[in-house]
Amino acid sequence: MKTFNIGKDFSPDPIGRYRTDGDRSGETFREDYLKPIITSLKSDETLEIIIDDGVESYGSSFLSEGFAGLVKYGYITSEDLLSKIIIKYTNDDFEFFEKKIIAYIKNAKFNSKLYEPTKS
Amino acid sequence: MKKLSRRQWKIDVRNGILHRRGHSKNTRKNGRNKGIVNGFDVNKWIDTQKEKGLNALANGNRVTIVLPEQLNFSKDYDTTALHLNAIRKLTQYKYLSPRAYRLESVNFDYITSISTSAALVLTAEISKWDDSVRNRLTPNIEKWNPDILVNFNELGFFDLFKNKPVNLDRFDGAARHNRKIVKYIKGRCGDDQKTRVLKENITQIVGNKIKKWTFLHSGSSEAIVNVSHHAYPKENGYSEIDKNWYLTASYNTIKRELKVVFYDQGIGIPKSLPASDLWEKALEFLSIFPIAERKKDEVLLKAAVELDRTRTEESDRGKGLPDLLEFIRQRCDGYLSILSLKGLFKLEIKGGVETVRSEHFEHPVNGTLIIWSVTV
Repeated sequence: MKTFNIGKDFSPDPIGRYRTDGDRSGETFREDYLKPIITSLKSDETLEIIIDDGVESYGSSFLSEGFAGLVKYGYITSEDLLSKIIIKYTNDDFEFFEKKIIAYIKNAKFNSKLYEPTKS
Repeated sequence: MKKLSRRQWKIDVRNGILHRRGHSKNTRKNGRNKGIVNGFDVNKWIDTQKEKGLNALANGNRVTIVLPEQLNFSKDYDTTALHLNAIRKLTQYKYLSPRAYRLESVNFDYITSISTSAALVLTAEISKWDDSVRNRLTPNIEKWNPDILVNFNELGFFDLFKNKPVNLDRFDGAARHNRKIVKYIKGRCGDDQKTRVLKENITQIVGNKIKKWTFLHSGSSEAIVNVSHHAYPKENGYSEIDKNWYLTASYNTIKRELKVVFYDQGIGIPKSLPASDLWEKALEFLSIFPIAERKKDEVLLKAAVELDRTRTEESDRGKGLPDLLEFIRQRCDGYLSILSLKGLFKLEIKGGVETVRSEHFEHPVNGTLIIWSVTV
């Protein structure tokens, strides 16, 4: 099992949807961090994602782009992604964000859009 | 030197007459007047609004806006919006005809009470005006009410000015207010980390950590993202330097009421939504009638918050506005108000019962004003 701590390995202030919103956006998180780890996982391996260590909160635009974007752009199916990630937190308030992440992934349509980077 | 053609001579004479009368050049594109210098429109608007209660004193083309005793969007919406809109109206054009009204000053002397939201919007408007005149404004506080002076000092209003009044702390003793205000934050796209400063300042005035802060942070962060995506579109003539947002908070020590206020001066939520729905198209058609136009902002605002729709029409977009509601829902207490253009959306939770109200107004808020209010 691999572990990814968003607050420490990415940013304590994740915000925004696109790279054009800044370097802490959902697009940056997905393309530069989450996608490489997910694709490097072995078939029976899972990824534990710690979401509340040093992070104040998440906006919906970050979560939907960062997580559901993997499905929308055809990198992985909803089922496969949900079977590979485990969301971890100790602050009970973050259960709300875990539910959102799962809902966005479940509702995303696989390969429904061609990915075009918003910033080169 | 080239001799003017008869046609060009007529155009020049006509433009000269229009300029002297304070009219704009009649620039037409696709049959619609784009109005580049609209000085006459400003004059007409100010004169009309004076009949409706706007306190504006004109000395030639120099206008002083005299602010009313009370500025409060919930208790006296019309008067508050009217006076704040007049400041925007008089300062929005850089190049005006010599006969067009210009803002000379804004008189604060008669204000005896001002809400946190109105104080933030007023500060934002004065800041915008100050930016447009290269920071040449100077406040004259001699006749200000001490409470108001303290309120604005706490808010950080005087930090706007190069020549700000000194020793303002001496008024603290004279003031009788029971409200503590957090110094406002002016930010642009990507300045979301400034919300951490807000958290520290709120904790300081309240004395405790705010329960469910996570969701207020999430809502305010998403409001900031919405500002950079939707509030200031390039096609409406906005540039990067316009993309400002303002944030403050206040705490009423007697009612133990915390208010957090966010404001942007953009096009407003209703205008940033696509009118693709049949019903909305019908409303747009009806918008030629004033009553339907006002109703449209209210309906579109409510739709934006409740239906997850945005101007991009992508199924996974537009989740941001519902994020604003979560702080109130998680606490099961308080209210969220969103005022945008002529519409109001208000969600209130009292005793566990959630109510939603929407309303339309005669005068718009120029931009979007978001207010979270909870008892702590």
